Amino acid sequence: MKNFWYLFAAYSTIWTILWVYIMHLSRKNKELREELRDLQARVERVLTK
Amino acid sequence: MQMMFASKGRTLHAVIVYFSMLFAMFFVFICAPNEKIQGIVQKIFYFHVSSAITMFFAFFIVFVASIMYLWKRSDWWDAVAFSAAEIGVVFCTLVLITGPIWGRPIWGTWWSWDPTLTLTLVLWLIYVAYLMLRIDIHDPKRARFAAVLGIIGFVDVLLIRWSVEKWRTLHPKPVLIQEGGTTGLTSTMLWIFMFCLGAFLLLFFYLLRERTSITQSRHALEVLRQEIDDLLAR
Repeated sequence: MKNFWYLFAAYSTIWTILWVYIMHLSRKNKELREELRDLQARVERVLTK
Repeated sequence: MQMMFASKGRTLHAVIVYFSMLFAMFFVFICAPNEKIQGIVQKIFYFHVSSAITMFFAFFIVFVASIMYLWKRSDWWDAVAFSAAEIGVVFCTLVLITGPIWGRPIWGTWWSWDPTLTLTLVLWLIYVAYLMLRIDIHDPKRARFAAVLGIIGFVDVLLIRWSVEKWRTLHPKPVLIQEGGTTGLTSTMLWIFMFCLGAFLLLFFYLLRERTSITQSRHALEVLRQEIDDLLAR
């Protein structure tokens, strides 16, 4: 098991970076949905005027 | 109906990616034999080389999509190029981190200013510059500049490939396909590697699909917001 920690570090880093990126995409998706809701509300306000 | 199928297709794609990555880890840690000289640390190879090939593929997509954008001026090609560049930078980061982690016990140093390693760092810097040029602002002028950078940047990918094969560098020569068409891997190592590569490419296509969809939706929202602002201003 010599050098096991290098293997552990490499795979932990890979999974951490992929996880962070997927979370980043998920946050962007959430922001888009919020913006869409905001836009829908604005359209409704314009239409009811 | 079409949206429901698209949503189901996305979920199915995500599930396939998740299980293929899990199986890849299982094969690497449980089934792959330890290499005689390098020992357990050689197992970094399976994800390191898969990340490198996926990165090359991502930058090839940037290259093709940038040419198509300059030719057709279609926002879809621009979104594909931008998304592939971002994902390519993520995979390039994985290559630049896992390489030195493997290099420390094998070479005795974390980093060497060897042509292959240096060119990979330059590649990362080129595409980070590409992303900085774009961020999330949709400006046709910036998109054109970025497309040109995306095309020129691909030359570095060819240089890296050439440096691995032809230059005398510290970086190992290709083991997957050696001169004469033979492979430097045992049959078990080879199929596990092919499985890992397949899982990484599936992950790439999943991320590309999601990122392109986000980029396009953001652009559509910006256009819509501008139209509403114009209507309100009248």
